Amino acid sequence: MSDRPRSVDHLLPLKPKVLHILLALADGPRHGYSIMQEVAARTDGQVRVWPAAMYGTLRELEALEWIEESDKRPSDDDERRRYVALTPLGKRVLSGEVRRLEAIVDLARASRALRPSAKAERA
Amino acid sequence: MKSFGAGRDPRDAREMKEDAERLLDEARARGRIEFAVTWFALLWDLIAGTGHDLARALRSLVRAPGFTVTVSLLLGLGVAATTTLFALVNAVILKPLPYANPEQLVMVWESNVSRERLREGPSPGNVEDWVSHSDAFEALTAWWTTSATLRGRDGSAPVAGVQVTKGFFEVFRRAPLLGRTFTDQEYLGRPSIASGRTGGQEPVLVLSHRLWHSLGADPALVGGTVFVEGRNWRVLGVMPADFAVPDVDAALWTPWDMREAYRGARFPDGPPRDFRFLRVVGRLKPGLSPESATDRMKILAARIAADHPRTNADWSVQLVPLREELGRSSRTGLLLVFGAMFCLLLLVCANVASLAIARRASRAREIAIRFAIGAGQTHIVRAHLAESALCAVITALVAIVLTTGSLGAAIAFAPADIPRLHEVGPDARVVSFAMALALLVTIVGVLLPGLRRSSATIAPALKDGAPVSVKQASRMRRALVAVEIGVTVVLLVGAGLLTRSFAGLQRVDPGFDTQNLLVLRLAPDVTRYQRNEQRNDYYGRVLNSIRELPGVRSVAAVTFLPMSTIGQDFYRPYWLEGARPDGFAVTQANVRMATPGYFSTLGLPLASGREFSAQDGLDAPRVIIINESLARSVWKDQDPVGRTLILDYQGGPSPRQVVGVVRDARYRGPRSNPAPEIFIPHAQNPYLVMNVIVRTKVDPDALARTARAQALTVDADQPVHSVTTMERLLDDTMQQDRFAMRFVALFAAAGLVTATTGVYALLAYTVAQRKREIAVRMAIGASSSSVARLVVMESLTLALVGCVAGALGLVAVSGLARSILFGIAPHDPLTLATTVAVLLAAVLAASWLPARRAARINPVSAMRI
Repeated sequence: MSDRPRSVDHLLPLKPKVLHILLALADGPRHGYSIMQEVAARTDGQVRVWPAAMYGTLRELEALEWIEESDKRPSDDDERRRYVALTPLGKRVLSGEVRRLEAIVDLARASRALRPSAKAERA
Repeated sequence: MKSFGAGRDPRDAREMKEDAERLLDEARARGRIEFAVTWFALLWDLIAGTGHDLARALRSLVRAPGFTVTVSLLLGLGVAATTTLFALVNAVILKPLPYANPEQLVMVWESNVSRERLREGPSPGNVEDWVSHSDAFEALTAWWTTSATLRGRDGSAPVAGVQVTKGFFEVFRRAPLLGRTFTDQEYLGRPSIASGRTGGQEPVLVLSHRLWHSLGADPALVGGTVFVEGRNWRVLGVMPADFAVPDVDAALWTPWDMREAYRGARFPDGPPRDFRFLRVVGRLKPGLSPESATDRMKILAARIAADHPRTNADWSVQLVPLREELGRSSRTGLLLVFGAMFCLLLLVCANVASLAIARRASRAREIAIRFAIGAGQTHIVRAHLAESALCAVITALVAIVLTTGSLGAAIAFAPADIPRLHEVGPDARVVSFAMALALLVTIVGVLLPGLRRSSATIAPALKDGAPVSVKQASRMRRALVAVEIGVTVVLLVGAGLLTRSFAGLQRVDPGFDTQNLLVLRLAPDVTRYQRNEQRNDYYGRVLNSIRELPGVRSVAAVTFLPMSTIGQDFYRPYWLEGARPDGFAVTQANVRMATPGYFSTLGLPLASGREFSAQDGLDAPRVIIINESLARSVWKDQDPVGRTLILDYQGGPSPRQVVGVVRDARYRGPRSNPAPEIFIPHAQNPYLVMNVIVRTKVDPDALARTARAQALTVDADQPVHSVTTMERLLDDTMQQDRFAMRFVALFAAAGLVTATTGVYALLAYTVAQRKREIAVRMAIGASSSSVARLVVMESLTLALVGCVAGALGLVAVSGLARSILFGIAPHDPLTLATTVAVLLAAVLAASWLPARRAARINPVSAMRI
């Protein structure tokens, strides 16, 4: 047993929904509705997370200790809104996933069978 | 996974709600389509995204719809059929009547226990006394329905006209749809339909919605006139569509002044007390129970009897709630058919349950694994609950949709003479019934069989073969199949009895030849044919003109036809000369007018004497023909021909000589018994409305048009209608029997198939499960035939247990069946024996394939796995 953080690889890959939520939280704490907005904005409306799914996922992520409720909030915001932020574990999971995806993209680019053409876009 | 099934945080719920509202607001701003898309996305999100058990069930339904959908459709179909029949039962028996405070309405009968006449229509004189002296009713009314002829622009039609006494519309408390009903003044002195009197005050009537509709539904008709029974009537109003008193056929109501109708020399005491024929309904005073009202009426009846012993001695009164009264005639048949359908539903339910048990057993390992990896007992139960709930919802939906669609067909198939059929509809009660039944069958068929007890079976379930759960499951399935067989026995016996009873009804000899007999009804204008000579001349020419047609053997006419419900039948007192009885010993007979050749045309033979001839005219001596029933009761074994009988009819009591005795006929259908009858030559009492019968050499339907056309050649203005055949009339008297027989037989057949499938499925499953055991048996020397015998014996044991269960069920329902059966006892041995034989054959057939499969098991390959 060491204090060195364990690898997060066994937690990957993430579901697309979870990845997008974690990404939206990467810049700082947000409340649920703001995550919804952010995800939709970043993906140009291609990915949408709806309320029931959102809060269900948030509670699951909370249970996994990837996110936690945050005290930081803008002073002008609604008192009742709860903000969540990434935990250190959450950050590591997110960067682990991003690294995994990068590796896949690198692999794809290096592949000679795949030229950056219409075919690649379709894939 | 920790949050599996956990209750949602209330703060989450609040935020979810706020977010959803905000999303909807934004979407609304972007347009209607965006809004709709968002709405559905949110709905799906709520169902699918919550991790809720129901959503899980829904998702698994979408992924693997097999079991849930099949079962729901099957159950939905059964529930729909049961609900359709329930809708009939509901309308005819259960539903409150469509009148204000319907529980206050009672039908009033006169009853005489000592003479075994328990339900006589009250007499006019007694009703008058009740109206003026009884303190039990808010209002009391009497009516009499007669068949009238309505003449419109395109021909004429028979309609049911109801002459009603003062208080009729107050008793039923219904306001007219258009115009008004009668004022108290209008009940006085107006002519009634049957009176035939002309002149005096203008006749008035109120139309039914149906008749008004068929006359063009013109609001201006109110205030105008219609031409009925030979004269013009002023239309005062139109009743709403659901006002059907006494039944849905009632086409018009006219005021009836009984004092006016019964006066003059014939009725020196006013309305008679000994002609018991009216229909009487009263509205009880609020808060008065039918029982205490009966008590009060009995006291009044006793007082009237003391005042008028000649007519009223021993006569008392009986009150029956109107709702009960209306459902009385069709109650048994409907309940039988409904019960049969319910049995069939039970069978389907049992098969589904059996399927669910088998499925559970086969999933035992999957469930055991889920236990083993830590899923709680509650999780699995909850998942099953959710699946069952989903199944119930789909079942209910299927049932409600199918029921709504099939109600029209049900009404069309139901016997037309069931009362209140027009009230059948998918009301709240029917829909709740469907939902409750759907819930019930899902609980019995899916929920209960799928519930597991404890996790004690984990270890054995994980072992190969899973013997414990399978044994337990197949014991339950065997019990279910035995119950199925029991229910099938009840259904089959019911179908057998009804079929035999119906065959018996059809075999009953009505007393005359019903084949090749065309009937039509003529109702000439009373204004055009006022004098007796005119009427005789008209009918003479009509009969002659039809007689000339090729294919016609003979023609005659009569006032009231056997098997027919239309026309006037008179019930009059008669006695031997010099032996006028005291009032309560008065004997009455049905009196009918017939033309010469009526009995030979009908094919009803004379026992002695002669038929009427052309010589029995207006000026000839008055003669009658009586039937054997009457002859026996008056003259015992002596020949009545040549003797004289006093008949109290038109113009008061007068002597008439018996010239012939005719054999008894069952005038009111095969179930009816012959009653005393007196026939008068039509020429001596030229009644205006007659039924013409035509004995044909060819198919009577082929002559229907020409015969009608021929009658119209005599006087094109005089209506000829209700053209039909005697066979059809006879058939119509057995409508309810046929309805019960057909449907119970249909359900019994379906039940037999269901039970057989159940037996087959059980045996096939058992053989498959016991493959290894059988292989071991065979390996140590059992022959294939002994293995097959094992399977067959199991099925026969099931059949035996089922038959015993069925016998118990039969004892329970035989009381209900007895009242509808004709000429056969509920324990008819032939029916019982046939049922057992059919059942054994079916069970053996069902076990044949599994038995063969068992016998062909190859011990070596079966044990290798």
